Amino acid sequence: MAKGSLLSSLKVARFLFRKPKTLRYPFEKKEPALRYRGFHLNDWDTCTGCGNCADICPNTAIEMVEVLDLEVGPGEKNERPKLDYGRCCFCGLCIDICPPGSLRLSRDYFHTHFNTDTFVFVPKDEKSDEETFLPAENYSILKASLTHRKRDYEGFSSDLSYALFEPERVPMPEVPPAERTLSFVEQVIGYDREQAVREAERCLECRLCEEACPAHMKISDYIGAIYNGEPEESLRKIYEDNPIPSICGRVCMKHCEDACSLRLRGEPLAIRWLKRYVADTIQDFKSTLEQQPGEPTGKKVAVIGAGPGGLSVAYFLRLMGDDVVVFDELSGGGGVIRIGPPRYRLPLASIEKDADHVASLGVEFRYNTKVGTDVRFQELLDEYDAVYLGIGLTVSRSTRVENADKCRLALDFLRKNKTESMSKVTEEVIVIGGGNVAMDVAREALRLQHMQYPGEKVVTRMVSLEDWDEMPATEEEIEETREEAVEFNPAWGPKKVLLDDDGNVSGLLCMKVKSVFDDEGKFAPTFFEDQEMVLKGTTIIEAIGQGSDFSFIPEDMLTKLRFNEMRKVSVDENGMTSLPGIFAGGDIVNTNLDAVTAIADAKIASEGIHKWMTRSR
Amino acid sequence: MRELELYFGPQHLGMVGNLSITLTVEGDRVVNAAMNPGYLHRGFEKLMEQRSWIKNFPMVCRMNILDPDSMEMIYAMAVEKLAGIEVPERAHYIRSIYLELARAGSHLFGLWAYSNMLGFDTVAQWAMYHRDLILDRFEELTGGRVYHIYIWPGGVRRDFPEGFEDRLVSTLHSIGGCVPDYDATFFNNRLFADRARGIGVVTREDALAMGAVGQVLRATGVDDDVRKIDPYAAYDKVPWDVHTSEDGDAYSRVWIVRNEMIESVHMIFKLLDAMPKGEVYNRIPNPFKWRIPEGETYVRCESSRGELGLYLVSDGGDKPYRAHFRTPSYTHGLTILEKALKGASISDVGNIMMSLYVVAPEIDR
Amino acid sequence: MNDSPMNGQLKKKLDSVFRDIETDVSDDGRLTIHATKESVLTVLSLLKDEGWSFLQLVSCVDWIKQDEIEIVYVLSSYVGVEDGPDAKGEPYAKGEPDAKRESILLKTRLPRSEPSVLTAIHVFANAEPYEREIHELFGVHFEGHPRLTPLFLDREYKIPPFRKDFDTEQYVKDVFDSVPPIDEES
Repeated sequence: MAKGSLLSSLKVARFLFRKPKTLRYPFEKKEPALRYRGFHLNDWDTCTGCGNCADICPNTAIEMVEVLDLEVGPGEKNERPKLDYGRCCFCGLCIDICPPGSLRLSRDYFHTHFNTDTFVFVPKDEKSDEETFLPAENYSILKASLTHRKRDYEGFSSDLSYALFEPERVPMPEVPPAERTLSFVEQVIGYDREQAVREAERCLECRLCEEACPAHMKISDYIGAIYNGEPEESLRKIYEDNPIPSICGRVCMKHCEDACSLRLRGEPLAIRWLKRYVADTIQDFKSTLEQQPGEPTGKKVAVIGAGPGGLSVAYFLRLMGDDVVVFDELSGGGGVIRIGPPRYRLPLASIEKDADHVASLGVEFRYNTKVGTDVRFQELLDEYDAVYLGIGLTVSRSTRVENADKCRLALDFLRKNKTESMSKVTEEVIVIGGGNVAMDVAREALRLQHMQYPGEKVVTRMVSLEDWDEMPATEEEIEETREEAVEFNPAWGPKKVLLDDDGNVSGLLCMKVKSVFDDEGKFAPTFFEDQEMVLKGTTIIEAIGQGSDFSFIPEDMLTKLRFNEMRKVSVDENGMTSLPGIFAGGDIVNTNLDAVTAIADAKIASEGIHKWMTRSR
Repeated sequence: MRELELYFGPQHLGMVGNLSITLTVEGDRVVNAAMNPGYLHRGFEKLMEQRSWIKNFPMVCRMNILDPDSMEMIYAMAVEKLAGIEVPERAHYIRSIYLELARAGSHLFGLWAYSNMLGFDTVAQWAMYHRDLILDRFEELTGGRVYHIYIWPGGVRRDFPEGFEDRLVSTLHSIGGCVPDYDATFFNNRLFADRARGIGVVTREDALAMGAVGQVLRATGVDDDVRKIDPYAAYDKVPWDVHTSEDGDAYSRVWIVRNEMIESVHMIFKLLDAMPKGEVYNRIPNPFKWRIPEGETYVRCESSRGELGLYLVSDGGDKPYRAHFRTPSYTHGLTILEKALKGASISDVGNIMMSLYVVAPEIDR
Repeated sequence: MNDSPMNGQLKKKLDSVFRDIETDVSDDGRLTIHATKESVLTVLSLLKDEGWSFLQLVSCVDWIKQDEIEIVYVLSSYVGVEDGPDAKGEPYAKGEPDAKRESILLKTRLPRSEPSVLTAIHVFANAEPYEREIHELFGVHFEGHPRLTPLFLDREYKIPPFRKDFDTEQYVKDVFDSVPPIDEES
């Protein structure tokens, strides 16, 4: 069959030019599915180094490695996950637990090498590593490996609805705005046991918060104790670093929550409210904590100011066995915290609870005693082995515009309301300032208006130099103030207080702000002189900042007290000022101006004081 | 005649999987057979006692290479029962669809093993190819091809991707379209019938006395299927049939595998039609703090080879106190196979073992 | 299924026949029977006669704190048997009560030192490999078992490896750390 065989050979030859039916591997690669679980990608910009991926890995394939040249801010660690592909099983649990969602899996899966060390790898992504991730034209499947990968080749990635953490907070029960402005009832109601346990359960134990907390509280541990249903243990953990939990549980500036890894794609853990839960649940701190003052050292320390810093210094020193006397001009503990935060935020009972525990350890409090008038500063220096200045910022600044003397000052207003009797306000109030104190003043004024003019039309107006985006008050505070229907006038500066014919305040002349800060970021407001506005108001309260009063220190000593360029008291690493034996902390030292930083300062100073007093001379 | 001891496996052409049998033979008749497992013993149950509840989830599937998905299912079921976790309705349907797809994939793999062992290379290649098409769908749904790590306590890990249902249906159609080819070359083939009829007979009495499940039991006329007796996922939501046969031999068992495969595909179509919309996952507690109340449970599901059970004990801690898997191959491979091999010809040893659908890794665990 | 009649009946019957057992029906209807070492096989046979004729699993738990080893027999029944193969396509609602679908747990506790119990092979043939496995992994002796030879493992262990006091990590260290690393040729 010569003819047949001739034809059939032609038939065969035809196939030489056809595309083969089979896949030519590896020259023709099958595209993996969009959800393919291949090698890791990690966005180094959003990765916080929290280490949750390493904690959840079933095969301990992930290890956190320190990256020395990495710049980190609060809520970040200079660590990044390192993958051992000899161990990884590509389950993707690390993806589902990653709070920022920076860790993803790609569709790459090629890596062949004779050296097993190359299977250990710190993943990055195309954003942070352009050398490894190549565009299509430079990529070759034949060279594919862990260090020769395709760009834009995302595979299995994080999805919040399937995440292993709970992004949403247990809502905090609050008194609604319309109701709370009618009285000074405490706005936040507080978690009950079930809610607290449920909220505590969200904690991923990454401890980013502990680094961010100025006092480095053992947050993860005390939250864990709440979850275990042991608030007593939780309180003991809190008291290791912070002796004022009832206060901090209400007014802490919560640097911890700003660092919480859950905040990145959800709401941060309600650390402050959980601390408050512990402090409120336990009635008797003394019997729970069972603390005893330390072995008596015979040393005496005078603490000026019973604010957060003063209370903390007294507490820490007392535990070390020193005798401590605290002087304060007010009638009780708390310092600025006692007069500043209104009752709806921080009731006096909470302050007393914390101060009472410090007193129960044997700290002597001399209230209603102003150093400089009731007792001379020199006497303290003579009588005590060391002195701690925890005097805080107690003097309100004034705008000093024309007729500013007709205005009231924020701290005087707040102090009178909280410690004496309620101020009389008028139907129209203007508050100057955009900080937290200004918000407190405005909200308090509004409550007073409602109480003094029930059912009548009243209004509180705020005017601040700063626009919405640069207002110094916290977002939370601004939001709550707006909820209560306070009228905001951002980016307007006061020019003159207007008076009526009888010489009473009738309004405020304002001008439009051009900019608040100069190019170097310093406070130097400029205005559009031609754009003016008159705000009507018969009471004006200035809340533009506070300063401190050093007048009790004799002139010759004060000149030797060194200040830094931020106009803060300079202290060394032990918290000691330039004057030997005189230590300082809190708002006169740091720029955070909050209670928890004062505690941190106090912790350093108390150790410094103890060391200084017991030093060998 | 003189008796000889003969080692069959773990390296043997007729042996799929790492298992060995010590045969005592007289001529080419098997007088006695002693199973010799352990080549794949990885101590999973001990490992599980040292890993938290969620860390066990990517691991359990690795106990069975052929049918990892029922392992995921049984673990999720046990944990849900102990911890009192509810599963959304849609997740139940997705689980059923996913498990039926896995069953079809597993049966194709089983068919590959069986036909390959008998020398039907072409059918074996087809089966492997068609299983690969199913793996493509798994890859699309879960991101993995063999170990899907998809069913977790509280539901499933992701919803269907865009257009997945259509592609699933077309894949199943293209496989289903080849059933006549399979029938012509294999199931209705005289060669297969001659090799399998009357081979490895397990009587109904033996099956019931020895704890047989799955195809081994159904081939003796007992229509016992956990999906019917003790319905889980969405198996009670759509009508479907249990396939049985009367002869109890290799031929009946392999035919049941074929019919079940087709039934699975039909069931997927019905489930897809009936599937509701909605959530597919109820969030489990924070894995770093998750503790399950003290208690114990025994749950079961129908894997591709019969009843799969899990006895799970919690002492109130963050890890299982004890986990014990009841795998179908354990009884089939260690008790029934030893009996079925007695009196068989050496040339039928692999035939009988594969027709009992014995999967070595799930014996050893 | 709290008041499932089948479990209730069985519980009553067991309570009347045996004195040294404790029975307990859980909230979800599962019957758990705690028997002594001496009575456990008799209970097992009785259960088989009552229709729980499917031995699903023989398991073992090491309760180290109580210094006891617990043997657990998981029993169920073949629901399809009596109905025959004509009941296709319908869930099994007819005939068999729900309770028979739930597995029964029969347990007995043995002292951790020298635990020993009679073999169940004569009641259920498929208990054979389970008992062999428990003997190997937990060190429980089954009297009358014809081949208590190792099933899975090929080494001798001082402590049976599935007992709670067997330190897996230490074992790995002892066995595998002594293996010299393989030199790669580069």
